[in-house]
Parts: sequence; C-alpha cells; structure tokens
Amino acid sequence: MAETTSTRLTAAHVLEYPYRRSVGPVLGAFFTGLTERRLVGVRARDGRVLVPPVEYDPESGEAIGEMVEVGPGGVVTTWAWVEKPRPKHPLDRPFAWALVRLDGAGSAMLHAVDAGSAAGMRTGMRVRPRWKAEPEGNIHDIVCFEPEARGTDPETP
Amino acid sequence: MAERCAVIGIGQTKHDVKRTDVSLPGLLREAVDRAFADAGVGWRDIDAVVIGKAPDMFEGTMMPELYLADALGAAGKPMLRVHTAGSVGGSTAIVAAQLVQAGIHERVLTVAYEKQSEGNAMWALTVRIPFQQAIVAGAGGYFAPLIRAYMRRSGAPEDTGVRVALKDRQNAPKNPYSHLVFPDVTYEMIEGSPMLWDPIRYMETCPSSDGACAMVLASDAAAKKARHAPAWVHGTAMRSEPTMFAGRDLVNPRAGRDCAAELYRKAGIANPRKELDCAEVYVPFSWFEPMWMENLGFAPEGEGWKMTQEGATALGGDMPINASGGVLSSNPIGASGMIRFAEAALQVRGLAGEHQVPGAKRALGHAYGGGSQFFAMWIVGSARP
Repeated sequence: MAETTSTRLTAAHVLEYPYRRSVGPVLGAFFTGLTERRLVGVRARDGRVLVPPVEYDPESGEAIGEMVEVGPGGVVTTWAWVEKPRPKHPLDRPFAWALVRLDGAGSAMLHAVDAGSAAGMRTGMRVRPRWKAEPEGNIHDIVCFEPEARGTDPETP
Repeated sequence: MAERCAVIGIGQTKHDVKRTDVSLPGLLREAVDRAFADAGVGWRDIDAVVIGKAPDMFEGTMMPELYLADALGAAGKPMLRVHTAGSVGGSTAIVAAQLVQAGIHERVLTVAYEKQSEGNAMWALTVRIPFQQAIVAGAGGYFAPLIRAYMRRSGAPEDTGVRVALKDRQNAPKNPYSHLVFPDVTYEMIEGSPMLWDPIRYMETCPSSDGACAMVLASDAAAKKARHAPAWVHGTAMRSEPTMFAGRDLVNPRAGRDCAAELYRKAGIANPRKELDCAEVYVPFSWFEPMWMENLGFAPEGEGWKMTQEGATALGGDMPINASGGVLSSNPIGASGMIRFAEAALQVRGLAGEHQVPGAKRALGHAYGGGSQFFAMWIVGSARP
C-alpha cells in the first residue's frame, strides 16, 4: 500500500463539564472513616475482610455490609520501586508502589510507601499510614505509608 | 423454531432526579433484587447477564460493565453489554430473550440503567467532536423540528401535545416507581408551562432521572418453576437506519414501520389496534405519541392525533398508551426502553396494580433511539405461545 504523508486530519478538542458520584453506604463508610483517620473494610461471605470495601460479595454476588475496622498498621505483600517520580505521583522523591495488607484485612490495597531507598523496602515489612493534616474523605487523606520501625517522627528521613 | 421465552421476574427502582442514597451498583441492585424476589430466583439460578445503558459519556463511567460485573454476579458467567442509544433498554431485553430462544440459557438476567445525576446528558449530546456531525442542541432541539413537520403534514390540533402530557401525567401517580408526580395536574398547568423547544413545553418533556430496570427471562422449563404468572414473549423485532441519510423520513421512519410489520408477523397479529390490549411506547416528548401511533400502524398516516384527542390512548380507552406514566414521567435514559418492555409484561401478568389495564392479555413494548434510527419492540402475552 502506498504511504500517505500529508492528509492526516488533526484538531484540538477540549471538553469539560463536571461529573458527580454517589458512593453508597459501604464505600461511604470507608471515605467517612478516612476523615476520622480510621480504616474500615467489609466482611465478605467467606469471612475475609476486604479493604477497600465492596458492596457485593465477589464470590456469591450477595449484598454485604458488615464494616470492620482494620489497621492502621499493615504488611507490604509486594512492591515496585519508582526511582524518578513523575509530577502527579504522590511523593516528589523516590518511593515504592506497594500492596499493603492492613492488620485484620484479607486483601491488600495499593498505595505509596516512603522508604527513602529501595534498600529500605522488602516484602513482609511492616508499614503504617502517614495522614494528611486535614483529611477530606478521599484516598489522598493517606499521604503515603512509611516503615513502622522508623521511629515516631514521620518526617525523619 | 425458536424455544419459548418468558418474563418471570421484573424489578424497578424508585426513579428520581437524584438517587444520591445509592452508588451506581447499588442502583442496579435495587432493581435486580426486586426482579429476583418476583421470580423467586437467586444468583445461582442465573446463567448469563445482559446489561444496557446509553452513552458512557452521560455519567463519565467508561465501560461500566467492567466494574459492574461484581455487583451483577457475573463472575464465571457470560456478560454482554448492548448499546443502541435511547432504544438500548429494548434491544438489551431482546438480546437477552434471544439467548433463551436460541436454547443457550435457562435464565438470563437483563438490566438497564441511567444515573443522570452523575453527569449531564444534554451536554454529552451537545459535544461537537472534530470531524463528526454534531447534534448541538440535545434531544429536544433535535426532535422539535420533526414535531413541527408532523403538525404541518397531519394538520393535527395544536393542543394534541398538551393532551398527551395531561394523560401521561394523570397516569403517573398510579405507578409507585414514577419520578415526576403531579397529583393535581391540569390542562392549563401544562399549556401554561414555559416553551422549551417550540412546540415542546416544559411539562411536555421527559425528566432527567436516576433509575434502573431488571428482568429475569426464562425458558419454558424454568418458567414452570417461577413464583408468579409469567409474560410470554410472542415476538421481538429490531430495525436500524442511518442518522444523516437525506432521503430519510424522520417523522415516520421506515425502520419503525418495518420493525412493527415484522413484529406483528412473528406474533401472528393482523390488526394491532384490535388485537393488542395496550402498549408502552417510548414518548420522551408529548407529540411522539401521535407520531408513533401512525408508525406502529395503530392509526392511518396523518390520523394518530385522533387517538389522543378522542381519548383512545387513555387508561380506559380502547388502546391505553403508557398507563405507567411513560417516559414523560420517568426517564433513566438507558432504562427507559426496558421499562416500556417490563411495563407491557406487567400488564399481561395482571401485576400492574393501580395502572392495570383490566384484562390485558397482549401488550406491546416499544423503544426508539439515536436520531429516530434504532427501533426495538416486543409483544408479550399471558398465553403460552
């Protein structure tokens, strides 16, 4: 086939209008918990506590709604190191994306871990949340997780 | 010969302007749980899930079927998403029925929804995408000139639209799921409401609703085990035509006429006005009642308005149209077509409550969408075909 070079159409298109979300009673409990610096999950039919919670059992599809407080500490189940953070990343210095299973939870949740360097990361390490000064009820209320053993001052490198 | 298909369970949400009390999955489950209770089935009894909604841009939840799979118990089962613009609720039900009629599944859950409060359907329809024809004015602006053309062609009295709206709004309070309810509505109230898109007044227009509708469709064998009397599918038909073809008749689209003709042939109906007891027809703007009466062959061309003016389409007339209150009273867009199909089924099951058409045995459900270009229809009856 002959290659065409100059006939490609391009046009700028900016579309903007607001979308809203109703989160319902189960996710609502999770987001409300964040404003109080509490982490909650939901008990699935098989007994596992899922965090973040879901409204319907992943196996049976039945409605579930028994909320269970978890954490605040947890365990890293797997992680990937980000050496050069991008502008929209949660931290402006090297960090890990990690799956964190909070104490009492049966599932892991994705978040950032501020461990200084990759040498400070390992699967199975204990972490705890670092909270934003004024929580607003979204996942960014947790700035990141940090190694539990690091001491009491979260800003100490 | 296809297998028989029956509607054994029907569920609707309370339709409202903002269902902020439920998430999107929660909205769907309100309808599904009611359909399951009606049918006497649970998740284990469902073989497949067929879901429908209008364009994703309406709520800004792209490919919602991906994340709704959990809430709809679709893990380990086939799940299909159907999309045919405003007619999608009807075509979704037909795709689900065909899975039963083909002998593939025993029980199929079909569900359609819109949660209009999460976005803005009018703006979503107004977007001018580069290199594409734009509708620019939302649905009202698109359909108003077609109504003007119908008025000129037919010579219909100017107040026909007001009378349609009055009738549908008088029916709405009889339906517990209706979004818009004006218990003391009057002719003068409608006639005096602001003109939005001439000749469509505010009270001749459908609302923006949050809502969902679900049905459990079943094979012959599964229908025997149902909790309540089923509605049997006597025939289904779908037709499409292009939006922008200059030779189209948008007032009386050929796709709609052909769709109705195929439907009547399949259901063995020679005279629809005589042989059907009632119909739920997609009327988002009042004047579409007389237009669709002609397109469906209930009235000769140019005379659909007479049915409205003579009261034939009222509850108590010889062909009640939208006894439920219709799209003018509840409009969760993606679900609106399925609600028509479900309301037709409720009538022949004798379960329509206060808006029951006495003794209804055969009813038509109708949906249209796009620029009057997609049509989906079914006829359901109390008799096993």
